[in-house]
Amino acid sequence: MKKYFSIIILSLLIISCQKGEINSLNTPVVGGIITDPTRSDLFNLLTGAESGMRNNFGTYLDGTGIIGREIYRFSGAEPRFTTDLLGGGTKLLDNNTFYITNPWGSRYQVIRQCFILLDAIKNTRTEVASDAQKKAFTGLAKTLIGYQLLLNINMTDSNGARIPVPNGATLGPVITNPAVVMDSVLKFLDEGKTDLTGSEVIFPLSDGFAGFKDAAGLLKFNRALAARVNIYRKDWASALTALNESFFDLNGVLTTGVYNSFSTNGGDLANTMYLAPNGNGEVRVAHPSFVTNIVAGDDRINKTSLRTSSASQSGLTGNRDLTVWSSLNSPISIIRNEELILIYAEAKIQTNSFPDAIVALNRIRTAHNLPVYAGAITSAALITELLYNRRYSLFMEGHRWIDVRRYNLLGTLPVDRTGDDVWARYPLPQNESNI
Amino acid sequence: MLMPKSGFLLLLCLCSTFALFAQQNISGKIKDAVNGRPIPGVTVRVPNTNRGTISDATGLYTLAVPTGTSTLVVSYTGYKTRTIKLTPTTSVLDLTLEEDFARLDEVVVTGLATNVKRSNLANAVATISNRQLNGVAPAQTFDAALNGKVPGALITSNSGAPGGGISVKMRGITSVFGNSQPLYVVDGVFFNNSSIPAGLNDVTGAATAGNPNNQDNPSSRIADLNPADIENIEILKGASAAAMYGAKAAAGVIIITTKKGKAGKTKISVNQELGFVKVRHLMGVRRFTAETAADLAGTADNPDPAVQAKRDAYKAQFNTAQSAGKIFDYEKEMYGETGQVLNTGISLSGGGEKTTFFLSGNRRQEEGIVKNTGYFNNSVRMNIDHKLSDRISLGVTTNYIYSSSDRGLTNNDNNGVTYGVALSSTPDFVDLHPNALGEYPRNPFAASNPLETRDKMNNNEQTNRFVGGTNLEIHLQQSDHSTTRFVGRGGVDYYNYKTAALFPRDLQFEENGLQGHSIQGNTNNINTNIGGFLVNTFTPNNNVSLTSTAGATLETGYMDNIVTAATNLVSGQSNLDASANTTTRQFRQKYRDNGLFIQEDLSLIDAITLSGGLRFDRSTNNGEYKKYYVFPKGSFSWNIAKMKFWNVSGVNNLKLRAAYGQSGNVPPYSSKFTGMLGSNIGGYPGVLVDNLQGNPDIKPERQTEFETGLDISVMDGRISLEASYYNKKIYDVLLRHALPGSTGYASEWKNSGDLKNQGIELGLTLIPVNTPNLKWSSTINWWRNRSKVTKLTIPAYAIGAFGNSLGTFYLEQGQPATQIKGIVGGALKLIGNSEPKFQMSFFNELTIYKNFSLRFLIHWKKGGDNINLTQLLTDAGATSFDYDDIVNGTKVGAYRPGAGDASIYVQDASYVRIREIGLYYNVPLKNTNTIKGIRFGVSANNFFTWTNYVGYDPEVSNFGSNTITTSQSRGSNGLSTGVDVTPFPASKRASFHVGLDF
Repeated sequence: MKKYFSIIILSLLIISCQKGEINSLNTPVVGGIITDPTRSDLFNLLTGAESGMRNNFGTYLDGTGIIGREIYRFSGAEPRFTTDLLGGGTKLLDNNTFYITNPWGSRYQVIRQCFILLDAIKNTRTEVASDAQKKAFTGLAKTLIGYQLLLNINMTDSNGARIPVPNGATLGPVITNPAVVMDSVLKFLDEGKTDLTGSEVIFPLSDGFAGFKDAAGLLKFNRALAARVNIYRKDWASALTALNESFFDLNGVLTTGVYNSFSTNGGDLANTMYLAPNGNGEVRVAHPSFVTNIVAGDDRINKTSLRTSSASQSGLTGNRDLTVWSSLNSPISIIRNEELILIYAEAKIQTNSFPDAIVALNRIRTAHNLPVYAGAITSAALITELLYNRRYSLFMEGHRWIDVRRYNLLGTLPVDRTGDDVWARYPLPQNESNI
Repeated sequence: MLMPKSGFLLLLCLCSTFALFAQQNISGKIKDAVNGRPIPGVTVRVPNTNRGTISDATGLYTLAVPTGTSTLVVSYTGYKTRTIKLTPTTSVLDLTLEEDFARLDEVVVTGLATNVKRSNLANAVATISNRQLNGVAPAQTFDAALNGKVPGALITSNSGAPGGGISVKMRGITSVFGNSQPLYVVDGVFFNNSSIPAGLNDVTGAATAGNPNNQDNPSSRIADLNPADIENIEILKGASAAAMYGAKAAAGVIIITTKKGKAGKTKISVNQELGFVKVRHLMGVRRFTAETAADLAGTADNPDPAVQAKRDAYKAQFNTAQSAGKIFDYEKEMYGETGQVLNTGISLSGGGEKTTFFLSGNRRQEEGIVKNTGYFNNSVRMNIDHKLSDRISLGVTTNYIYSSSDRGLTNNDNNGVTYGVALSSTPDFVDLHPNALGEYPRNPFAASNPLETRDKMNNNEQTNRFVGGTNLEIHLQQSDHSTTRFVGRGGVDYYNYKTAALFPRDLQFEENGLQGHSIQGNTNNINTNIGGFLVNTFTPNNNVSLTSTAGATLETGYMDNIVTAATNLVSGQSNLDASANTTTRQFRQKYRDNGLFIQEDLSLIDAITLSGGLRFDRSTNNGEYKKYYVFPKGSFSWNIAKMKFWNVSGVNNLKLRAAYGQSGNVPPYSSKFTGMLGSNIGGYPGVLVDNLQGNPDIKPERQTEFETGLDISVMDGRISLEASYYNKKIYDVLLRHALPGSTGYASEWKNSGDLKNQGIELGLTLIPVNTPNLKWSSTINWWRNRSKVTKLTIPAYAIGAFGNSLGTFYLEQGQPATQIKGIVGGALKLIGNSEPKFQMSFFNELTIYKNFSLRFLIHWKKGGDNINLTQLLTDAGATSFDYDDIVNGTKVGAYRPGAGDASIYVQDASYVRIREIGLYYNVPLKNTNTIKGIRFGVSANNFFTWTNYVGYDPEVSNFGSNTITTSQSRGSNGLSTGVDVTPFPASKRASFHVGLDF
């Protein structure tokens, strides 16, 4: 009988004595990838950051486009595109729902990724990447941090945003002065510029960066963003300086620039801003004012196409489909030469260099089948002309709402239904205030 | 050489103890004390041995007992156990047994290897017998059969889709992001109950906007179990009863015992069910007029010529449709099918003195209320019990299951593709029916033509599952005052789960988009558990009994889930490689938990029971995977009626009881890691930091539960009351709590607060009439729970459903865990609570002239709010049945979504429901040798519901209850039931039954 006991006790002991930790079976973990990273680790991190910029970028474009009365977004499944975002009835913007929390979170997620990349670079041996090579990583990472932060402060404006901090650092307060946040954006961009200068790029980038894949190209990309930030900051001189270091080309191709690339290939993201024309249920149509306000002959009307049958939801009707993107594989611009030309024009108007401004505006007008500018040569008239061109040249690229806000013209946006509102800014996400 | 040697040793031991005794033969007949009918299946046993027999179909038994045996124990489920004194000369012993109305003699499992009589039990353990499970109105799946039968539980069907899916919450909110569903133990085998999504999100985009949680609505795997195989279910509701299951028991334990064979003639039972299912309730649709059709384009005074043109077009379209008689009710067309139910069961049981067996096969086929949906389940069970000797017995249970369900496409989506979302914006004057060539028109009012989607798509889940367990019991030592047993138990639960969702490229929403989806998932899951226990019962004299148990357990699990989504399909093909693009995702999880425990039970004069135990648990899912967490328990019960001084003759049972216990809930797999998820661009592989931050210090939630109660039964058990109060506290609640988005993370795993649940459970059993010709028994249960977040170390935060403007569950210190907040007039306000005010059930059984029995169960849920977004979507789509009603001068359907008042869609989901009603007739047979019994019956399941709730059914959950979390998708949480987003409507069922026994 004692033998029995010993067998039983022994087997109980065996049962209770298995050892060993079970690690992550599915993905690399943050703590692992930043310690002594390999070249592939660094490439993977950078690719992840580039890729992550696309997450919920469509929601950003939809939201700013709807509030800015560029489009209607009809959806059988999501009524808030026509209620909340247009201020239908007595509805207000919700500080805890997808149209703000999703893009907001995704931008900061890319920022976090960039900080992880910066940490990884710190721990990278020079055999893996030389100092100059490391600089290219850090330069682009800082550029992306600046760009992502800019998109968020564009949404919340004076409701504020937080300045992102490195891994492990304590989060700072919500800065409700957008100018201060813009300064920080610029600071990240400037640091990025410093790092990119004289660096060597070894990492791969998608074809969204075609023409800008080397250090010189990335530097130009960085400065193009800086030019945008500077006009937001009304620092016209710095905008012009930045333009000169960017890929700004008054006579260049308007579409030259840096893009988010999309594809339906496995593991990649499709461009969900594309919806097949004449679809039903899930529809993006131009706001009716798009066609009523466009100058006859302006070829930018082709950014939309006439539907065979108009689309309606919640008492709103549109008859032109959004066709800025022609397929699920179409890239979405981050910044391109057409905007740079308009930034140049704006800075020139604001610094009273009207002839220079008119040259730039005419470059845009003639490119779009319009005659040269013949209006009044006053600051006000030129700004009106500038905003018209920004509206149609950068249609649905995330600009109009911000432009009318910059020039205090939100009140000029059309209100379609009794009770609708034009929002000046998104609320700060609930998760930022409940802390 | 070890085994033969020990075998020999064993034989020697046995011989020395028993073989020398001479034998005495006893036989007799056992009858019911009231109606005089013979009782088959009664166990007659020599105490403390394996020696015993069972009465046959006519109540006869014979048993050879060792000479010198002084007592026999006669027991049968539902009857009072009798202990009979034997004299050396007894040879014929006829007996009568009295029904145990208060079920005082029922044996209830309280430890991993020990049990106790109900009259001495310290907890309110709910038991559900086979008769309650199968004798009334069989549910489609096992899980649904529990509803209304468990006091203290809030059970909610997630959807009406074939194949089940249910949320069971025992005694309030046990966990928010940890496992909130009970542990199912079937014959000692831990039965996996995960819901694994099929990847439908690729098509619906449901989790891409308002809520990142998966909304694929997969079935839960407990649905695989065949209810007809179940003998008995015991429900341990909280830590005070379930502490011995340690770190898995926090949400309660449901212990299922399947049928076992009984020695004697082989019994064959055949049961056939034939029935139908229909939708329980349709919401109704809006009847358009020419004017309201025109309003879909914009108001009559809109100056925009495009709007006016569209108004005219709609008006014309409506008039044309009306004059052609083409006004349709698509809701009825979609959900109005009548499905056929066929359920065939056959079982064989019997055996000899040493070996008994139970063999059963079941085939269930059921069509859904939506075309091309249905459920099919084939299962085979073989249970064998074998006595190697008087000292060693071995039980083996095996179960093979094949199930297949076609579940259609329902629930939330962001692409306008599910049936319900498409219907919500489809008015009655558009014709969606296919033409003579079978071509479906494009639906101009939605992204999809729901009739086309229904007819061409396929969403199938298939499971092949094997569950097997072994139970070994060895009487190691036996003397007058002490017996020692070893119990060894092991089990394996393996399944392969294959999902296939096919959306051909010519569907409306595919033709200009991704051009077809074929999403196929393959999951292999294996769970094992093994345990060994030593139990010593020491009885120094008749008044004292001391049971000591020590044991160890080990559980492991491994799941490998691979889902491949192919798009841009080759026309007419479904194979993954017949496509232009494929994406594959893989998710694996693995755990190993082990535990050690000791337990001591003391019983004094069969009236006072004291019990204490300690369990040590560790898990690889914990941050500190080597650390053992300790969970104590203790209980006390005092049955005053069994005391010597008690002489109130009417009161046969008066018991005071109290129990305290702790248990844990291990963190979910991978909560200790911050993952880097795949995120590719331009053909380059990338990794992107997950927005869910892991926590290397994560530890299990700890639950403490105190339960106390009073049980009383009077008039010989014809009236009995069981009253319990519990106070269940959960410490270190595992939360996936919201971080400021500016950290780069959306949420973080953290043990960050405490919860409390307090509740009352009352059960009253009455036998108002008990005569040979009419017996009426009635059970009334009433229960309520109140939950509260007592501490939150993090800021209050919204945990879903779809944002503040539509009502969200909101965790906040000092408030109920189940509160719902939302924006009303611009401010975030309390607008509801998903927890019912109380629930009540009323079960009645009438037996008339011995052979007729009528049983019914009424369930009343009072209070508890749902977030009714089905109504929001039909309002937004202008198809609500009451859209045109005028409230405050506007149409209610236009008013509701624009009111800026989230409380409009947070609605009371109270109901009264006749869950089950069944009338059965046993054909009286005389002098037949082959056929032993014939039964006929009719039953109705969930047939009658009274509710003011506007949706398809007040029981609903868009997020499911047990959906696993993978790297790329967030699973269910413990709060978000009751969110109603165009679900698969619930169904009701009526059946005709025939049963034959041979």
